[in-house]
Amino acid sequence: MMKVYVNDLPVDLVQGMTVRHALTAGGLLETLEQGKKVYDEWKNELGLDGALSEGVKIFVR
Amino acid sequence: MKRWAAVVLYLLFGFFLSSQTHARSLDLRILHVNDFHGFADAYQPLGSHERLGGAAYLAGKVNALRRGKPTLLLAAGDMIQGNNWANMSQGESVVEMMNQMRFDAMVLGNHEFDFGRAVLEKRMSEAAFPILGANVEGLDRLKPFIIKEMDGVKVGIVGVVTEETPVATHPRNVSGLNFRSSAETVERYVRELKDRADIIVVLSHIGHEADRALAGRVKGIDVIVGGHSHTRILKPARVGNTLVVQAWEHGKAIGVLDLVIREGRVIEYDGWLEEIKPQAEKEDRGVLAIVEKYSRSMDTVLNAGVGNTGIDLDGENVRKRETNLGNLIADIIRQASKADAAIINGGTIRTNISRGEIRMKDIYSVLPFDNYIVAIRLRGKQIAEALEHGVSGIEEGEGRFPQVAGLTFAYSPSAPKGSRIREILIAGKPLDPGGEYSVATNDFLAVGGDGYRPFAEAVKSSQTFSVVGGMLQGEKVVYSDSGRWLRDVVVEYIKGKATIAPGIEGRITVRP
Repeated sequence: MMKVYVNDLPVDLVQGMTVRHALTAGGLLETLEQGKKVYDEWKNELGLDGALSEGVKIFVR
Repeated sequence: MKRWAAVVLYLLFGFFLSSQTHARSLDLRILHVNDFHGFADAYQPLGSHERLGGAAYLAGKVNALRRGKPTLLLAAGDMIQGNNWANMSQGESVVEMMNQMRFDAMVLGNHEFDFGRAVLEKRMSEAAFPILGANVEGLDRLKPFIIKEMDGVKVGIVGVVTEETPVATHPRNVSGLNFRSSAETVERYVRELKDRADIIVVLSHIGHEADRALAGRVKGIDVIVGGHSHTRILKPARVGNTLVVQAWEHGKAIGVLDLVIREGRVIEYDGWLEEIKPQAEKEDRGVLAIVEKYSRSMDTVLNAGVGNTGIDLDGENVRKRETNLGNLIADIIRQASKADAAIINGGTIRTNISRGEIRMKDIYSVLPFDNYIVAIRLRGKQIAEALEHGVSGIEEGEGRFPQVAGLTFAYSPSAPKGSRIREILIAGKPLDPGGEYSVATNDFLAVGGDGYRPFAEAVKSSQTFSVVGGMLQGEKVVYSDSGRWLRDVVVEYIKGKATIAPGIEGRITVRP
Protein backbone atom coordinates (compact mmCIF):
# COMPACT_ATOMS: atom_id res chain seq x y z
CA MET A 1 0.00 0.00 0.00
CA MET A 2 1.10 3.60 -0.32
CA LYS A 3 0.08 6.88 1.17
CA VAL A 4 0.28 9.99 -0.99
CA TYR A 5 -0.81 13.54 -0.29
CA VAL A 6 -3.26 15.52 -2.40
CA ASN A 7 -3.31 19.18 -1.44
CA ASP A 8 -1.66 18.08 1.83
CA LEU A 9 -4.42 15.59 2.66
CA PRO A 10 -3.44 11.90 2.90
CA VAL A 11 -4.87 9.40 0.42
CA ASP A 12 -4.26 5.65 0.58
CA LEU A 13 -3.76 3.79 -2.68
CA VAL A 14 -2.78 0.38 -3.97
CA GLN A 15 0.63 0.03 -5.64
CA GLY A 16 0.40 0.72 -9.36
CA MET A 17 -2.30 3.36 -8.95
CA THR A 18 -1.81 6.76 -10.51
CA VAL A 19 -2.48 10.47 -10.22
CA ARG A 20 -5.98 9.80 -11.59
CA HIS A 21 -6.77 7.42 -8.69
CA ALA A 22 -5.44 9.89 -6.14
CA LEU A 23 -7.70 12.63 -7.52
CA THR A 24 -10.70 10.27 -7.60
CA ALA A 25 -10.06 9.34 -3.98
CA GLY A 26 -9.70 12.99 -3.08
CA GLY A 27 -12.85 13.95 -5.01
CA LEU A 28 -10.88 16.34 -7.21
CA LEU A 29 -10.92 14.69 -10.63
CA GLU A 30 -13.86 16.75 -11.88
CA THR A 31 -12.05 20.00 -11.10
CA LEU A 32 -9.70 19.31 -14.00
CA GLU A 33 -12.59 19.80 -16.39
CA GLN A 34 -12.79 23.35 -15.07
CA GLY A 35 -9.20 23.98 -16.08
CA LYS A 36 -7.31 23.02 -12.93
CA LYS A 37 -4.07 21.07 -13.28
CA VAL A 38 -2.00 18.73 -11.16
CA TYR A 39 1.53 19.61 -10.03
CA ASP A 40 4.30 17.95 -8.05
CA GLU A 41 6.15 19.63 -5.22
CA TRP A 42 8.62 21.22 -7.68
CA LYS A 43 5.71 22.82 -9.58
CA ASN A 44 6.02 20.49 -12.55
CA GLU A 45 2.70 19.56 -14.17
CA LEU A 46 1.80 15.85 -13.99
CA GLY A 47 -0.16 13.66 -16.37
CA LEU A 48 -3.18 11.82 -14.98
CA ASP A 49 -1.59 8.44 -15.65
CA GLY A 50 1.60 9.39 -13.84
CA ALA A 51 2.90 6.83 -11.36
CA LEU A 52 2.93 7.65 -7.66
CA SER A 53 5.04 6.33 -4.85
CA GLU A 54 4.98 6.41 -1.08
CA GLY A 55 4.91 9.91 0.37
CA VAL A 56 4.58 11.78 -2.92
CA LYS A 57 2.87 15.17 -2.62
CA ILE A 58 0.72 16.45 -5.44
CA PHE A 59 -1.31 19.61 -5.70
CA VAL A 60 -4.39 20.57 -7.69
CA ARG A 61 -4.68 24.25 -8.55
CA MET B 1 69.59 17.72 -35.89
CA LYS B 2 68.48 17.50 -32.26
CA ARG B 3 66.79 20.88 -32.66
CA TRP B 4 64.83 19.67 -35.70
CA ALA B 5 63.82 16.53 -33.87
CA ALA B 6 62.56 18.60 -30.94
CA VAL B 7 60.52 20.80 -33.29
CA VAL B 8 58.99 17.75 -34.99
CA LEU B 9 58.18 16.17 -31.64
CA TYR B 10 56.66 19.44 -30.41
CA LEU B 11 54.50 19.72 -33.54
CA LEU B 12 53.44 16.07 -33.30
CA PHE B 13 52.59 16.51 -29.61
CA GLY B 14 50.65 19.69 -30.38
CA PHE B 15 48.76 17.93 -33.16
CA PHE B 16 48.05 14.99 -30.84
CA LEU B 17 46.74 17.33 -28.13
CA SER B 18 44.69 19.26 -30.64
CA SER B 19 43.17 16.13 -32.14
CA GLN B 20 42.46 14.74 -28.69
CA THR B 21 40.77 17.98 -27.64
CA HIS B 22 38.80 18.02 -30.84
CA ALA B 23 37.95 14.35 -30.42
CA ARG B 24 36.52 14.95 -26.96
CA SER B 25 34.44 17.96 -27.92
CA LEU B 26 30.86 17.68 -28.97
CA ASP B 27 27.72 19.74 -29.19
CA LEU B 28 25.24 16.97 -28.53
CA ARG B 29 21.46 17.12 -28.75
CA ILE B 30 19.44 14.58 -26.76
CA LEU B 31 15.81 14.17 -27.78
CA HIS B 32 13.68 12.22 -25.35
CA VAL B 33 10.20 10.75 -25.05
CA ASN B 34 8.67 8.83 -22.14
CA ASP B 35 5.36 7.13 -21.32
CA PHE B 36 4.12 7.25 -24.90
CA HIS B 37 1.69 4.39 -24.09
CA GLY B 38 0.79 3.87 -27.74
CA PHE B 39 -0.96 7.22 -28.24
CA ALA B 40 -0.54 7.30 -32.00
CA ASP B 41 -3.28 9.85 -32.60
CA ALA B 42 -3.50 13.38 -31.26
CA TYR B 43 -6.16 13.86 -28.60
CA GLN B 44 -7.63 16.56 -26.41
CA PRO B 45 -6.47 16.04 -22.80
CA LEU B 46 -8.97 16.57 -19.98
CA GLY B 47 -9.34 20.30 -19.34
CA SER B 48 -7.38 21.25 -22.47
CA HIS B 49 -8.75 23.31 -25.34
CA GLU B 50 -6.54 21.83 -28.02
CA ARG B 51 -5.44 18.50 -29.38
CA LEU B 52 -1.89 17.44 -28.62
CA GLY B 53 0.38 14.60 -29.69
CA GLY B 54 0.20 12.29 -32.67
CA ALA B 55 3.03 9.94 -33.60
CA ALA B 56 3.46 11.26 -37.15
CA TYR B 57 3.79 14.84 -35.88
CA LEU B 58 6.14 13.71 -33.12
CA ALA B 59 8.33 12.05 -35.74
CA GLY B 60 8.17 15.14 -37.95
CA LYS B 61 9.40 17.25 -35.04
CA VAL B 62 12.22 14.79 -34.38
CA ASN B 63 13.30 15.06 -38.01
CA ALA B 64 13.44 18.85 -37.74
CA LEU B 65 15.30 18.83 -34.43
CA ARG B 66 17.87 16.35 -35.71
CA ARG B 67 19.01 18.57 -38.56
CA GLY B 68 22.52 19.93 -38.19
CA LYS B 69 23.42 18.39 -34.84
CA PRO B 70 24.71 15.06 -33.62
CA THR B 71 21.59 13.75 -31.93
CA LEU B 72 20.51 10.90 -29.68
CA LEU B 73 16.85 9.90 -29.60
CA LEU B 74 15.99 8.14 -26.34
CA ALA B 75 12.83 6.56 -24.91
CA ALA B 76 12.41 6.40 -21.13
CA GLY B 77 9.96 3.52 -20.95
CA ASP B 78 6.24 2.64 -21.04
CA MET B 79 6.09 2.94 -24.79
CA ILE B 80 4.28 -0.19 -26.02
CA GLN B 81 1.17 -0.58 -23.81
CA GLY B 82 -1.86 1.54 -23.01
CA ASN B 83 -3.85 2.90 -25.92
CA ASN B 84 -5.82 0.51 -28.14
CA TRP B 85 -3.53 1.33 -31.06
CA ALA B 86 -0.70 -0.34 -29.14
CA ASN B 87 -2.67 -2.98 -27.27
CA MET B 88 -4.35 -4.52 -30.33
CA SER B 89 -0.95 -5.61 -31.66
CA GLN B 90 0.56 -6.14 -28.19
CA GLY B 91 3.01 -3.34 -28.84
CA GLU B 92 4.22 -4.44 -32.29
CA SER B 93 2.88 -1.20 -33.80
CA VAL B 94 4.93 0.93 -31.42
CA VAL B 95 8.17 -0.96 -32.05
CA GLU B 96 7.69 -0.56 -35.80
CA MET B 97 7.09 3.16 -35.28
CA MET B 98 10.20 3.46 -33.11
CA ASN B 99 12.29 1.61 -35.70
CA GLN B 100 11.09 4.04 -38.35
CA MET B 101 12.00 6.98 -36.09
CA ARG B 102 15.51 5.50 -35.56
CA PHE B 103 15.52 5.53 -31.78
CA ASP B 104 19.02 5.09 -30.35
CA ALA B 105 17.97 3.39 -27.11
CA MET B 106 15.03 2.65 -24.85
CA VAL B 107 14.73 1.56 -21.24
CA LEU B 108 12.00 -0.85 -20.24
CA GLY B 109 9.12 0.61 -18.26
CA ASN B 110 6.95 -1.39 -15.90
CA HIS B 111 4.12 -1.50 -18.47
CA GLU B 112 6.41 -3.12 -21.06
CA PHE B 113 5.84 -6.32 -19.05
CA ASP B 114 2.03 -6.17 -19.21
CA PHE B 115 1.64 -8.49 -22.21
CA GLY B 116 3.75 -11.17 -20.53
CA ARG B 117 7.33 -12.21 -20.90
CA ALA B 118 7.05 -14.10 -24.20
CA VAL B 119 5.48 -11.10 -25.96
CA LEU B 120 8.07 -8.75 -24.48
CA GLU B 121 10.89 -10.95 -25.76
CA LYS B 122 9.26 -10.96 -29.22
CA ARG B 123 9.01 -7.15 -29.18
CA MET B 124 12.65 -6.91 -28.12
CA SER B 125 13.68 -9.14 -31.00
CA GLU B 126 11.86 -6.81 -33.42
CA ALA B 127 13.48 -3.64 -32.11
CA ALA B 128 16.25 -2.16 -34.25
CA PHE B 129 17.54 -0.26 -31.22
CA PRO B 130 19.04 -1.50 -27.94
CA ILE B 131 16.68 -2.01 -25.03
CA LEU B 132 18.16 -1.37 -21.60
CA GLY B 133 17.39 -2.62 -18.12
CA ALA B 134 20.49 -2.87 -15.96
CA ASN B 135 18.55 -3.82 -12.82
CA VAL B 136 16.49 -6.60 -14.46
CA GLU B 137 17.83 -10.14 -14.39
CA GLY B 138 16.43 -12.91 -16.54
CA LEU B 139 15.93 -11.37 -19.99
CA ASP B 140 18.76 -12.34 -22.32
CA ARG B 141 18.24 -9.61 -24.91
CA LEU B 142 18.31 -6.84 -22.34
CA LYS B 143 21.47 -4.73 -22.14
CA PRO B 144 22.57 -2.97 -18.93
CA PHE B 145 24.15 -0.11 -20.87
CA ILE B 146 25.48 0.98 -24.22
CA ILE B 147 28.28 3.32 -25.22
CA LYS B 148 27.51 5.50 -28.22
CA GLU B 149 30.51 7.15 -29.84
CA MET B 150 29.58 10.45 -31.44
CA ASP B 151 32.26 12.50 -33.17
CA GLY B 152 34.84 10.84 -30.93
CA VAL B 153 32.93 11.47 -27.69
CA LYS B 154 31.76 8.39 -25.84
CA VAL B 155 28.32 8.65 -24.30
CA GLY B 156 27.54 5.91 -21.78
CA ILE B 157 23.82 5.21 -21.37
CA VAL B 158 22.62 3.06 -18.45
CA GLY B 159 18.97 1.99 -18.21
CA VAL B 160 16.98 1.24 -15.04
CA VAL B 161 13.30 0.48 -14.42
CA THR B 162 11.33 0.82 -11.20
CA GLU B 163 11.95 -2.04 -8.81
CA GLU B 164 8.22 -1.87 -7.96
CA THR B 165 7.45 -3.47 -11.34
CA PRO B 166 6.58 -6.86 -9.79
CA VAL B 167 3.70 -5.28 -7.83
CA ALA B 168 2.69 -2.82 -10.57
CA THR B 169 1.93 -5.54 -13.12
CA HIS B 170 0.43 -9.01 -12.70
CA PRO B 171 2.99 -11.31 -11.06
CA ARG B 172 2.71 -13.84 -13.90
CA ASN B 173 4.21 -11.24 -16.24
CA VAL B 174 7.46 -11.06 -14.29
CA SER B 175 7.74 -14.69 -13.25
CA GLY B 176 11.40 -15.74 -13.21
CA LEU B 177 12.69 -12.19 -13.39
CA ASN B 178 14.57 -10.38 -10.66
CA PHE B 179 14.41 -6.62 -10.17
CA ARG B 180 17.35 -5.14 -8.27
CA SER B 181 17.68 -1.75 -6.61
CA SER B 182 17.90 0.92 -9.30
CA ALA B 183 20.17 3.13 -7.18
CA GLU B 184 22.65 0.37 -6.35
CA THR B 185 22.63 -0.75 -9.97
CA VAL B 186 23.37 2.74 -11.27
CA GLU B 187 26.16 3.13 -8.69
CA ARG B 188 27.75 -0.05 -9.99
CA TYR B 189 27.56 0.91 -13.66
CA VAL B 190 28.70 4.49 -13.10
CA ARG B 191 31.82 3.02 -11.50
CA GLU B 192 32.25 0.72 -14.47
CA LEU B 193 31.68 3.40 -17.09
CA LYS B 194 33.54 6.36 -15.62
CA ASP B 195 36.81 5.38 -17.32
CA ARG B 196 35.13 4.16 -20.51
CA ALA B 197 32.75 7.02 -21.32
CA ASP B 198 33.13 10.79 -21.50
CA ILE B 199 29.69 11.46 -20.13
CA ILE B 200 27.12 9.22 -18.45
CA VAL B 201 23.40 9.35 -19.13
CA VAL B 202 20.95 7.36 -17.03
CA LEU B 203 17.82 6.44 -18.93
CA SER B 204 15.39 5.83 -16.12
CA HIS B 205 11.83 4.66 -15.58
CA ILE B 206 11.64 5.22 -11.84
CA GLY B 207 9.75 8.55 -11.56
CA HIS B 208 10.93 12.12 -11.11
CA GLU B 209 11.19 12.06 -7.33
CA ALA B 210 13.33 8.93 -7.47
CA ASP B 211 15.41 10.48 -10.27
CA ARG B 212 16.21 13.44 -8.04
CA ALA B 213 17.11 11.12 -5.17
CA LEU B 214 19.32 9.10 -7.53
CA ALA B 215 21.11 12.24 -8.68
CA GLY B 216 21.73 13.20 -5.05
CA ARG B 217 23.04 9.78 -4.12
CA VAL B 218 25.19 8.73 -7.08
CA LYS B 219 27.97 11.09 -8.17
CA GLY B 220 29.18 11.03 -11.74
CA ILE B 221 25.85 11.02 -13.58
CA ASP B 222 25.72 13.86 -16.11
CA VAL B 223 22.10 13.49 -17.20
CA ILE B 224 19.05 11.53 -16.07
CA VAL B 225 16.41 11.17 -18.76
CA GLY B 226 13.37 10.04 -16.82
CA GLY B 227 9.89 8.60 -17.13
CA HIS B 228 7.16 6.86 -15.08
CA SER B 229 5.73 9.90 -13.25
CA HIS B 230 4.59 11.59 -16.51
CA THR B 231 6.25 14.81 -15.35
CA ARG B 232 6.27 17.86 -17.60
CA ILE B 233 9.68 19.39 -16.85
CA LEU B 234 9.86 22.60 -18.81
CA LYS B 235 13.50 23.33 -17.96
CA PRO B 236 16.07 20.75 -16.79
CA ALA B 237 16.23 20.36 -13.03
CA ARG B 238 19.73 20.44 -11.62
CA VAL B 239 20.69 18.26 -8.65
CA GLY B 240 24.38 18.70 -7.87
CA ASN B 241 26.10 18.27 -11.21
CA THR B 242 23.33 16.15 -12.67
CA LEU B 243 20.64 17.39 -15.06
CA VAL B 244 17.25 15.71 -14.64
CA VAL B 245 14.73 15.85 -17.49
CA GLN B 246 11.39 14.24 -18.39
CA ALA B 247 8.97 14.95 -21.26
CA TRP B 248 5.40 14.57 -19.90
CA GLU B 249 3.41 11.74 -21.54
CA HIS B 250 1.65 10.27 -24.60
CA GLY B 251 3.91 12.02 -27.11
CA LYS B 252 2.31 15.37 -26.25
CA ALA B 253 5.81 16.82 -26.08
CA ILE B 254 9.37 15.92 -26.95
CA GLY B 255 12.22 16.85 -24.66
CA VAL B 256 15.24 18.63 -26.10
CA LEU B 257 18.52 18.80 -24.20
CA ASP B 258 21.52 20.48 -25.82
CA LEU B 259 24.87 19.75 -24.21
CA VAL B 260 28.22 21.39 -24.90
CA ILE B 261 30.81 18.74 -24.00
CA ARG B 262 34.47 19.61 -23.70
CA GLU B 263 37.15 17.28 -22.37
CA GLY B 264 34.61 14.83 -21.05
CA ARG B 265 32.62 17.45 -19.19
CA VAL B 266 29.31 19.14 -19.81
CA ILE B 267 30.24 22.81 -19.71
CA GLU B 268 26.98 24.29 -21.01
CA TYR B 269 23.43 23.10 -21.44
CA ASP B 270 20.01 24.21 -22.49
CA GLY B 271 16.82 22.20 -22.34
CA TRP B 272 13.15 22.60 -23.10
CA LEU B 273 10.01 20.79 -24.19
CA GLU B 274 8.55 21.14 -27.66
CA GLU B 275 4.80 20.56 -27.61
CA ILE B 276 3.52 18.32 -30.38
CA LYS B 277 0.49 19.71 -32.18
CA PRO B 278 -1.23 18.30 -35.25
CA GLN B 279 -0.09 20.50 -38.13
CA ALA B 280 -0.62 19.67 -41.77
CA GLU B 281 2.60 19.17 -43.74
CA LYS B 282 4.58 18.68 -40.53
CA GLU B 283 4.11 14.96 -40.23
CA ASP B 284 6.60 12.21 -41.03
CA ARG B 285 5.09 10.27 -43.95
CA GLY B 286 6.77 6.99 -42.98
CA VAL B 287 5.39 7.06 -39.45
CA LEU B 288 2.00 8.24 -40.74
CA ALA B 289 1.86 5.15 -42.95
CA ILE B 290 2.57 2.93 -39.93
CA VAL B 291 -0.09 4.70 -37.85
CA GLU B 292 -2.65 4.22 -40.61
CA LYS B 293 -1.67 0.61 -41.25
CA TYR B 294 -2.22 -0.40 -37.62
CA SER B 295 -5.38 1.72 -37.38
CA ARG B 296 -6.84 -0.27 -40.28
CA SER B 297 -5.72 -3.48 -38.63
CA MET B 298 -7.29 -2.26 -35.36
CA ASP B 299 -10.61 -1.77 -37.16
CA THR B 300 -10.36 -5.34 -38.44
CA VAL B 301 -9.71 -6.67 -34.94
CA LEU B 302 -12.53 -4.57 -33.43
CA ASN B 303 -14.95 -5.88 -36.02
CA ALA B 304 -13.92 -9.49 -35.52
CA GLY B 305 -16.27 -11.82 -33.67
CA VAL B 306 -15.24 -13.00 -30.21
CA GLY B 307 -18.27 -15.21 -29.54
CA ASN B 308 -22.04 -15.34 -29.58
CA THR B 309 -24.84 -14.53 -27.20
CA GLY B 310 -28.02 -16.54 -27.25
CA ILE B 311 -30.01 -13.65 -25.77
CA ASP B 312 -30.01 -9.85 -25.72
CA LEU B 313 -27.60 -8.53 -23.09
CA ASP B 314 -29.11 -5.69 -21.08
CA GLY B 315 -26.75 -2.81 -20.42
CA GLU B 316 -29.55 -0.26 -20.32
CA ASN B 317 -31.14 -1.05 -16.96
CA VAL B 318 -27.92 -1.53 -14.99
CA ARG B 319 -28.62 1.62 -12.94
CA LYS B 320 -31.91 0.35 -11.57
CA ARG B 321 -32.00 -3.45 -11.40
CA GLU B 322 -30.14 -6.71 -11.84
CA THR B 323 -29.40 -7.37 -15.51
CA ASN B 324 -27.92 -10.33 -17.33
CA LEU B 325 -25.03 -8.21 -18.66
CA GLY B 326 -24.33 -6.89 -15.16
CA ASN B 327 -24.29 -10.47 -13.88
CA LEU B 328 -21.95 -11.58 -16.67
CA ILE B 329 -19.37 -8.87 -16.01
CA ALA B 330 -19.57 -9.24 -12.23
CA ASP B 331 -19.10 -13.01 -12.64
CA ILE B 332 -16.04 -12.50 -14.85
CA ILE B 333 -14.48 -10.08 -12.37
CA ARG B 334 -15.10 -12.48 -9.52
CA GLN B 335 -13.72 -15.43 -11.44
CA ALA B 336 -10.58 -13.59 -12.60
CA SER B 337 -9.72 -12.53 -9.06
CA LYS B 338 -10.98 -15.69 -7.32
CA ALA B 339 -12.84 -13.46 -4.87
CA ASP B 340 -15.79 -14.48 -2.70
CA ALA B 341 -18.01 -11.87 -4.32
CA ALA B 342 -17.97 -9.00 -6.79
CA ILE B 343 -19.60 -5.58 -6.71
CA ILE B 344 -19.38 -3.14 -9.61
CA ASN B 345 -21.19 0.08 -10.28
CA GLY B 346 -23.81 -0.17 -13.00
CA GLY B 347 -22.40 3.01 -14.52
CA THR B 348 -19.36 1.02 -15.64
CA ILE B 349 -21.60 -0.67 -18.22
CA ARG B 350 -22.57 1.71 -21.00
CA THR B 351 -24.72 -0.11 -23.56
CA ASN B 352 -26.54 -3.27 -24.68
CA ILE B 353 -25.40 -6.14 -26.87
CA SER B 354 -28.00 -7.68 -29.17
CA ARG B 355 -28.49 -11.42 -29.56
CA GLY B 356 -26.14 -12.98 -32.09
CA GLU B 357 -22.48 -12.48 -32.79
CA ILE B 358 -20.48 -10.43 -30.30
CA ARG B 359 -17.76 -8.36 -31.89
CA MET B 360 -14.83 -7.00 -29.98
CA LYS B 361 -16.04 -3.47 -30.52
CA ASP B 362 -19.31 -4.39 -28.77
CA ILE B 363 -17.37 -5.20 -25.61
CA TYR B 364 -15.32 -2.01 -26.01
CA SER B 365 -18.58 -0.03 -26.27
CA VAL B 366 -20.00 -1.72 -23.19
CA LEU B 367 -16.80 -1.08 -21.21
CA PRO B 368 -15.17 2.05 -22.71
CA PHE B 369 -13.25 3.07 -19.60
CA ASP B 370 -9.68 2.01 -18.84
CA ASN B 371 -10.61 0.13 -15.68
CA TYR B 372 -8.88 -2.87 -14.19
CA ILE B 373 -9.77 -5.47 -11.56
CA VAL B 374 -8.93 -5.03 -7.88
CA ALA B 375 -10.08 -7.34 -5.07
CA ILE B 376 -10.16 -6.20 -1.48
CA ARG B 377 -11.03 -7.88 1.81
CA LEU B 378 -14.08 -6.22 3.33
CA ARG B 379 -15.87 -6.85 6.59
CA GLY B 380 -19.45 -7.98 6.22
CA LYS B 381 -20.48 -4.63 7.68
CA GLN B 382 -18.55 -2.81 4.94
CA ILE B 383 -20.22 -4.92 2.23
CA ALA B 384 -23.61 -3.94 3.67
CA GLU B 385 -22.53 -0.27 3.67
CA ALA B 386 -21.34 -0.54 0.06
CA LEU B 387 -24.65 -2.05 -1.07
CA GLU B 388 -26.62 0.47 0.96
CA HIS B 389 -24.73 3.23 -0.81
CA GLY B 390 -25.28 1.49 -4.15
CA VAL B 391 -29.09 1.59 -3.84
CA SER B 392 -29.23 5.10 -2.42
CA GLY B 393 -29.37 6.83 -5.80
CA ILE B 394 -31.87 4.66 -7.63
CA GLU B 395 -34.46 7.44 -7.97
CA GLU B 396 -31.96 9.59 -9.79
CA GLY B 397 -30.72 6.72 -11.95
CA GLU B 398 -27.24 7.13 -10.50
CA GLY B 399 -24.48 4.92 -11.91
CA ARG B 400 -23.62 3.62 -8.45
CA PHE B 401 -26.42 1.01 -8.50
CA PRO B 402 -24.60 -2.29 -7.89
CA GLN B 403 -24.33 -5.31 -10.14
CA VAL B 404 -23.11 -8.27 -8.11
CA ALA B 405 -21.74 -11.81 -8.18
CA GLY B 406 -21.25 -14.36 -5.41
CA LEU B 407 -23.86 -12.64 -3.26
CA THR B 408 -27.56 -11.83 -3.29
CA PHE B 409 -29.38 -9.02 -1.58
CA ALA B 410 -32.88 -7.65 -1.12
CA TYR B 411 -33.72 -4.00 -0.69
CA SER B 412 -36.70 -1.76 -0.24
CA PRO B 413 -36.63 1.23 -2.60
CA SER B 414 -39.44 2.94 -0.69
CA ALA B 415 -37.44 3.01 2.56
CA PRO B 416 -35.36 6.08 3.42
CA LYS B 417 -31.91 6.30 1.86
CA GLY B 418 -29.37 4.61 4.10
CA SER B 419 -31.73 1.94 5.43
CA ARG B 420 -32.94 0.15 2.34
CA ILE B 421 -30.97 -3.09 2.45
CA ARG B 422 -32.96 -5.97 3.93
CA GLU B 423 -31.00 -9.17 3.51
CA ILE B 424 -27.59 -10.15 2.16
CA LEU B 425 -26.46 -13.71 1.50
CA ILE B 426 -22.96 -14.75 0.50
CA ALA B 427 -22.55 -18.29 -0.80
CA GLY B 428 -26.15 -18.83 0.31
CA LYS B 429 -25.45 -17.91 3.95
CA PRO B 430 -26.42 -14.72 5.78
CA LEU B 431 -23.69 -12.11 5.74
CA ASP B 432 -21.65 -12.04 8.95
CA PRO B 433 -21.15 -8.34 9.78
CA GLY B 434 -17.87 -9.12 11.54
CA GLY B 435 -16.66 -11.70 9.03
CA GLU B 436 -14.17 -10.92 6.29
CA TYR B 437 -14.81 -11.57 2.59
CA SER B 438 -12.77 -10.88 -0.53
CA VAL B 439 -14.75 -8.63 -2.85
CA ALA B 440 -13.69 -7.90 -6.42
CA THR B 441 -14.43 -4.60 -8.07
CA ASN B 442 -12.79 -2.16 -10.47
CA ASP B 443 -9.99 0.27 -9.64
CA PHE B 444 -12.42 3.22 -9.77
CA LEU B 445 -14.55 1.89 -6.93
CA ALA B 446 -11.47 0.62 -5.08
CA VAL B 447 -10.39 4.19 -4.40
CA GLY B 448 -13.88 5.30 -3.39
CA GLY B 449 -15.15 6.35 -6.82
CA ASP B 450 -18.92 6.86 -7.14
CA GLY B 451 -18.92 7.36 -3.37
CA TYR B 452 -18.04 3.72 -2.55
CA ARG B 453 -16.16 4.65 0.59
CA PRO B 454 -16.02 1.16 2.18
CA PHE B 455 -13.52 0.02 -0.46
CA ALA B 456 -11.31 3.06 0.10
CA GLU B 457 -11.53 2.58 3.87
CA ALA B 458 -10.43 -1.03 3.53
CA VAL B 459 -7.47 0.02 1.37
CA LYS B 460 -6.61 2.63 3.98
CA SER B 461 -6.53 0.04 6.74
CA SER B 462 -4.24 -2.27 4.77
CA GLN B 463 -0.64 -1.61 5.65
CA THR B 464 1.25 -3.80 3.24
CA PHE B 465 1.11 -6.63 0.75
CA SER B 466 3.46 -8.92 -1.05
CA VAL B 467 3.52 -11.45 -3.87
CA VAL B 468 2.75 -14.98 -2.67
CA GLY B 469 2.36 -17.84 -5.10
CA GLY B 470 1.96 -15.52 -8.05
CA MET B 471 -0.82 -13.45 -6.47
CA LEU B 472 -0.85 -10.24 -4.55
CA GLN B 473 -1.50 -11.09 -0.93
CA GLY B 474 -1.93 -8.57 1.81
CA GLU B 475 -4.00 -7.52 4.75
CA LYS B 476 -6.77 -6.15 2.54
CA VAL B 477 -5.76 -6.07 -1.12
CA VAL B 478 -5.76 -9.58 -2.56
CA TYR B 479 -5.68 -8.85 -6.30
CA SER B 480 -4.68 -5.94 -8.52
CA ASP B 481 -3.83 -6.18 -12.21
CA SER B 482 -3.25 -2.67 -13.51
CA GLY B 483 -1.78 -3.93 -16.78
CA ARG B 484 -4.93 -5.55 -18.13
CA TRP B 485 -8.10 -3.64 -18.86
CA LEU B 486 -11.37 -5.17 -17.67
CA ARG B 487 -12.76 -5.18 -21.23
CA ASP B 488 -9.85 -7.35 -22.39
CA VAL B 489 -10.54 -9.82 -19.56
CA VAL B 490 -14.18 -9.94 -20.72
CA VAL B 491 -13.14 -10.52 -24.34
CA GLU B 492 -10.89 -13.37 -23.31
CA TYR B 493 -13.66 -14.94 -21.22
CA ILE B 494 -16.19 -14.83 -24.07
CA LYS B 495 -13.65 -16.23 -26.54
CA GLY B 496 -13.19 -19.15 -24.15
CA LYS B 497 -16.93 -19.83 -23.93
CA ALA B 498 -17.82 -19.29 -27.63
CA THR B 499 -21.54 -18.91 -26.75
CA ILE B 500 -22.94 -17.23 -23.65
CA ALA B 501 -26.46 -16.81 -22.32
CA PRO B 502 -26.33 -15.19 -18.89
CA GLY B 503 -29.63 -14.91 -17.08
CA ILE B 504 -31.26 -12.92 -14.33
CA GLU B 505 -30.99 -15.10 -11.25
CA GLY B 506 -32.62 -13.18 -8.46
CA ARG B 507 -29.35 -11.77 -7.15
CA ILE B 508 -31.07 -8.46 -6.47
CA THR B 509 -34.68 -8.54 -5.27
CA VAL B 510 -37.07 -5.77 -4.35
CA ARG B 511 -39.11 -5.85 -1.14
CA PRO B 512 -41.98 -3.54 -0.27
